[in-house]
Amino acid sequence: MATFSFTLNGAPTTLDVDPSTPLLWALRDHLGLTGTKFGCGIAQCGACTVHVNGEAVRSCAYTIDSVAGAQVTTIEGLTRDGPHRLQEEWIKAQVPQCGYCQPGFIMAAAALLEAKPHPTPADIAASITNICRCGTYARISKAILAAAGG
Amino acid sequence: MPARELNMTRSSLAALSRRDLLQGAAASFVLVGGRLVADAASAQASAATPLNAWIAIAADGKVTLQCAHSEMGQGIYTTFAAIMADELEADWSTCDIVFSPVAPAYRHPVYNWQFTGNAESIRSYHGLIRKMAAAAREMLVMAAADQLNVPASELAARDGKVLHKASGRALDFAALAQAAAAKAPPAAPAVKPESEWRLVGHGRSLPRRDIPDKVHGSAAFGIDIKVPGMVHAAVMSTPALGGKAASVDEAPVRDMAGVIKVVPLGNVVAVVAEHYWQARLALAKLKIDWQGGETFDDAALEKSFRAAQQGKEGWALAENKGDAVKALADTRHVIEAEYSAPWVSHAPMEPMNATVAVTDTGVIVWAPTQGMQMTQIVVSKVLGVPPEKVTINRTYLGGGFGRRLLADFVAQAALCAKAVGRPVKLIWSREEDIKQDVYRPGFLNQVRAQLGNDGLPAAIHFKLVAPTILAPVSPTPIRPGMVDALCCEGLMENPYAIANRRVDYNMLGTPIPTMVLRTTGHGPNNFTVESFVDELAHAGKQDPHQYRRRLLGDNPVARKVLDRAAELARWGKAPRGRFQGIAFADCFGSYLSQVAELSIEGGAVKLHKIVTVCDPGRVLDRINATSMMEGGVVWGLSAALYSSLSFDKGHVRERNFDRFRVVTLPDTPELVTDFLENRPAIGGLGEVGPVCVPAAIGNALFAATGVRHRRYPFALDGVRTVYGKIFG
Repeated sequence: MATFSFTLNGAPTTLDVDPSTPLLWALRDHLGLTGTKFGCGIAQCGACTVHVNGEAVRSCAYTIDSVAGAQVTTIEGLTRDGPHRLQEEWIKAQVPQCGYCQPGFIMAAAALLEAKPHPTPADIAASITNICRCGTYARISKAILAAAGG
Repeated sequence: MPARELNMTRSSLAALSRRDLLQGAAASFVLVGGRLVADAASAQASAATPLNAWIAIAADGKVTLQCAHSEMGQGIYTTFAAIMADELEADWSTCDIVFSPVAPAYRHPVYNWQFTGNAESIRSYHGLIRKMAAAAREMLVMAAADQLNVPASELAARDGKVLHKASGRALDFAALAQAAAAKAPPAAPAVKPESEWRLVGHGRSLPRRDIPDKVHGSAAFGIDIKVPGMVHAAVMSTPALGGKAASVDEAPVRDMAGVIKVVPLGNVVAVVAEHYWQARLALAKLKIDWQGGETFDDAALEKSFRAAQQGKEGWALAENKGDAVKALADTRHVIEAEYSAPWVSHAPMEPMNATVAVTDTGVIVWAPTQGMQMTQIVVSKVLGVPPEKVTINRTYLGGGFGRRLLADFVAQAALCAKAVGRPVKLIWSREEDIKQDVYRPGFLNQVRAQLGNDGLPAAIHFKLVAPTILAPVSPTPIRPGMVDALCCEGLMENPYAIANRRVDYNMLGTPIPTMVLRTTGHGPNNFTVESFVDELAHAGKQDPHQYRRRLLGDNPVARKVLDRAAELARWGKAPRGRFQGIAFADCFGSYLSQVAELSIEGGAVKLHKIVTVCDPGRVLDRINATSMMEGGVVWGLSAALYSSLSFDKGHVRERNFDRFRVVTLPDTPELVTDFLENRPAIGGLGEVGPVCVPAAIGNALFAATGVRHRRYPFALDGVRTVYGKIFG
């Protein structure tokens, strides 16, 4: 066990856990933020995507000791003032089916729009590599393009 | 913003009477800030007046509608309730939806069993819930007739009120609910004509009620449940199927932080710890002596399929019309081929998990389950308590695809909870989710057809070898030597006009647990039938679309589906360098036709478009139905192109998404979807979307390359796509 301090959704946070604990389980199990989902544990599916210092990372393969001092943002803290424009477009396009993977997609898309405010479909295809078993991909692309255009 | 909490019915165990169960009355918990707390609003709902098992109306006008089914992405949570609200003439904005308890009132009207699957939720319940809502509406009208002192025939319900047109007077449902509940339910309630549907059908769509929470990360799936005093379990299963933990050396984990107990469960060993990752760390350190596992591999499996196919033992006659054997004895115009389908895993995004509390008065389960009644029975059996002492609280499901019909994962959680005397949330790793899956088995199908002078088949004979998919979810025993009706779906009662037809089926026993998976038998069998029909068309130098039109004979409703797909795809007019394949299905009470369009670039497949046309009789929610088709196509693409399991040393090799490949966003082509509504009865949607995709793509590949692929995923034949594996 060791103590780790970082900023979580804008608030200073300190946690006493095993250094090998993935950020995902620290968030879900110790900090009660369950919007970040567990899907594969090997950084393949992206259901656990969060932002660390503004970059989209897969928190299942990101140990807590590597976020010491960092700014961590989860789906719960994506915006401070109402829904993100991606979330609004997601609802407009009725994107989710089971919905389990959707926070991960939205976090990946939000990081994309930060880096590239007007992505092309090819940019989206190159950067959104998460897995959705319900197959909502076409509507995800549509919602990202709408959010970028709006 | 709509309430973010997920209402979960949680019956008060001690007070629960049969009447309560039938009426669906229950107290509720909600998740607030990740914690489960008693919910004032839901407590109010439970104080609402039930008009029957499905509908309750509170003094403040809130209408509570019971959703008998599991929400696993198919949108049933919204549409199921909307059907009742429509028939009741309720104001949709005042309607709350809750997941029903496990109770006789909510069982499938034919199977007398409560589950969600087989695309049954609308097609099998629509008539029942319309009648129940119509009965409640008539009781409200009777109560209004008393209060207004006018004949019921002068009254009409609309938008949550009963109106007396002549006098302009109106009474809210809320003011009528108690008097209505005292009325005897009408024996034959009059269901509205379709022309008076106001919330569903006629191209309408309602925003799905679950979507805002799912977009904000606040929706509660099984894995998100938190109950006071809860601890966590992680499990490891036998490295080879059939193996058992003969002994477990706990010494290495005894002093590890948070570890509470090691719980051996036969083919699985669990570690319970304060936190989940502590359980995972301990699990990795345990020394387990596994004994008695299987040793088979792909070659051994293949050999057993071949032996069954070539042998005389085990065959059961599934269909026999005319005399196909006699017709095929004249071998001059016989075409034959062998088709196969792969072993696959369900692998929904949310791994199997469950939370169980064993209390003095009963057992409380929180589970993402498609098999709510099965879960109640399984937990009752493993803990030795009566079923009525097991309360099932249902959460959203992070996908299901059939896997969550079973309750093995809930049983593990229940046994852990009993062992430690605290509520336990048990979560499978992805590797365990695939290792402990109950797989959709491989299919091996030998098909022969006799072509008549008109080029159409005069006889067709299928000889299918496949392990059972029905047995684990069948209320009656299914054994080798019997017909598994689901394995033979799409071969039996095929819509094509062929005079002589025979289906022989051989239920292969293997050491591998097998079960239904999205598309059930229709998926693998449609690939066989529709690829083979394509072969027959090409053999007779006929256009594959026209050939199928002729085979559909005098079925104009089916032909319209096929023709509409051809029209939307601009069949036969693909741009230069692009190739098309078409397929048709009659499945789950719906007709389906799909056209794939692809090109070959640098020796690899590039998908351009999939056109889908479906006739499910009635489309109740257009946008959601389109979702089902679009998502279904993607599921079908994973099946067609990439996903399969292989076996070595008695277990699967592919244990995570690095090797069990599925379609991702870049692989998704343009999706064009349309519906027709000509079938007389309402059909299913959830299972339908993927059904024709493998055959449509295989047929397009044949058009492009001249190579007929008789097994899928086509990756097994070395077919690559332009979508490189972008991760891993």
